[in-house]
Amino acid sequence: MKPKVAFFDFTSCEGCQLNKLNLENDLLDILKHVEIVEFREAMDDKADAYDIAFIEGSISSPSCVERIHDIRRRSKILVALGSCAVNGGVNAMKNLQPIDEVRETVYGEDKYLFATLPAMSVSSIVKVDYEVRGCPMTQQDFLKLLVSLVLGKQAPRYDSPVCVECKLSENECLYNRGMVCLGPITRGGCDAICPSFGQFCTGCRGLLDEPNYIGMLEVMTNHGISLDEAKKRMLLFNSNEVQL
Amino acid sequence: MECYSLKQSDVPALIDHLGAYGEVIAPHRKGDVSYSFEPVKDSEKVVLEYNRTLLPLKKCFLPPTEKLMDFSLKDMSYKPTEVPIKPAVYFGIHSYEMQSILRLDHSMLSGKAESNYFNRRKKSRFIGVSFSPDEYHFSESVGISIEEMEGFDLYLNKVSDDYQLYIISDKGKDLLKGFDKLIQAEPIHVEGREFNKKIRYHYNRLPRVFQYAYHSKVWAEVAERCVGCGSCNLTCPTCFCFDVNDQVEVTAEDGMRRRSWDSCMLSTFAEVAGGENFREHTLNRTRHRLYRKFKYITDEEGLPWCVGCGRCTAFCPADISMVDIINDLIREDEKAQFHKTVRV
Repeated sequence: MKPKVAFFDFTSCEGCQLNKLNLENDLLDILKHVEIVEFREAMDDKADAYDIAFIEGSISSPSCVERIHDIRRRSKILVALGSCAVNGGVNAMKNLQPIDEVRETVYGEDKYLFATLPAMSVSSIVKVDYEVRGCPMTQQDFLKLLVSLVLGKQAPRYDSPVCVECKLSENECLYNRGMVCLGPITRGGCDAICPSFGQFCTGCRGLLDEPNYIGMLEVMTNHGISLDEAKKRMLLFNSNEVQL
Repeated sequence: MECYSLKQSDVPALIDHLGAYGEVIAPHRKGDVSYSFEPVKDSEKVVLEYNRTLLPLKKCFLPPTEKLMDFSLKDMSYKPTEVPIKPAVYFGIHSYEMQSILRLDHSMLSGKAESNYFNRRKKSRFIGVSFSPDEYHFSESVGISIEEMEGFDLYLNKVSDDYQLYIISDKGKDLLKGFDKLIQAEPIHVEGREFNKKIRYHYNRLPRVFQYAYHSKVWAEVAERCVGCGSCNLTCPTCFCFDVNDQVEVTAEDGMRRRSWDSCMLSTFAEVAGGENFREHTLNRTRHRLYRKFKYITDEEGLPWCVGCGRCTAFCPADISMVDIINDLIREDEKAQFHKTVRV
């Protein structure tokens, strides 16, 4: 029997889900292996239990917490999909400001009607078995993971910096072109797609384990940006991860 | 050694002539300020005055990523990739780059030869060119002069505006058959091409320095600045470590096995099953990188396994300099020696 697969969205732009629908060339092959039982962005059906649940978005309200617990209970394997689900993503920038101010900016005087929490990764609430990183999630990573799960194998984990794939593609280093790039401390697996097209890395796939923060800030400031700007760049996608 | 003079304006004609032997690979401009070795499509676009290419010539013999085999999960069969033996001319190669290929030959061909590397290397011809050292080259400090001709079949020495062409091997002589733009000449010694970056000791004194440098404070100082991106290894012409992984297609039926360059500066390089990591900290990894270049292989082969191209330094985002690390180790060693002498 084909594994039952479901997709859920939490606090996010739903771009990761859209990114899956863009896998036009592979969608039919995917459907040979799995049965999609719930996917709000693409269909209406609902199911009770799932073999694989893909979660998009961060956890940012009490109702999110309740819902993710419920999904976890009904899922054999749970996968965090995209930057928001993996580490809070850009949403987590709100955690850097006083929560009351944030609520007032968004909801004005109705702020007490909307309960809120700091934007958290899915793994800070429930057990996450696998993750697909990137903003939006990297399609090739998603396919690799899906194939591994279908074959019952351990999914590959990529934990080398973006610089590795950038070097293997023989790209000219963006630091040599006067840009400041987060490639050295950002987790790769994206084929260095941004630097390959001349755009510096913004760290959307999260940081390496134990990155050298001070060393990286030194590199960035030595290449012409202020310490304040360097920190902001580091925090953009990784507010929940960076320890300064 | 036969020596001829060759006009700068006749270089494209020489490249076109070499094309009769096989594909010509030569340095080209890449990006804003960089160079890379590319197959020649238009001989006018070849750049002979360049500091260094982004990736070393190694990429032509041990590609950054290559498919080792196709496999099928349906019938559990596999088919290794066959690398054809093709004649090729590598044109405009610096002496240190040639030396790196000779060192790679040792790594890949001694004992049981690595067949993919062997096939790519078998019919290769090398044409060297002189260069003006920039602020990163230090090959003289590891025993490789600008005019070191070992390994080349032909060598072009820049003399004022034109070149002198040396025929070094019979293979080189064969390559020139039918090329009529050469005029016999007396070899001219070119003055004034000095290296700016130097290791303070002769390279044969380095193994002793490294023998006592294992617990040096220098490693921790470097580790503070290193961001662990792996660029130093990935652009190194003598590093040969690779990682192998399998990739199954979306059909879940067919797949391929590939290998890609790896780097011992990456935190996961020495990680093994169970999560144990033999070189957990940047300090351990930096030290290992330099010991691989100046101690471990050097002890066995009598040669530094660094060729002084300066890539690890030029492409380091944190501006960490190989030569500075070694000079720091030497200084520390001298200090220790002095203290010992005073006490006696």
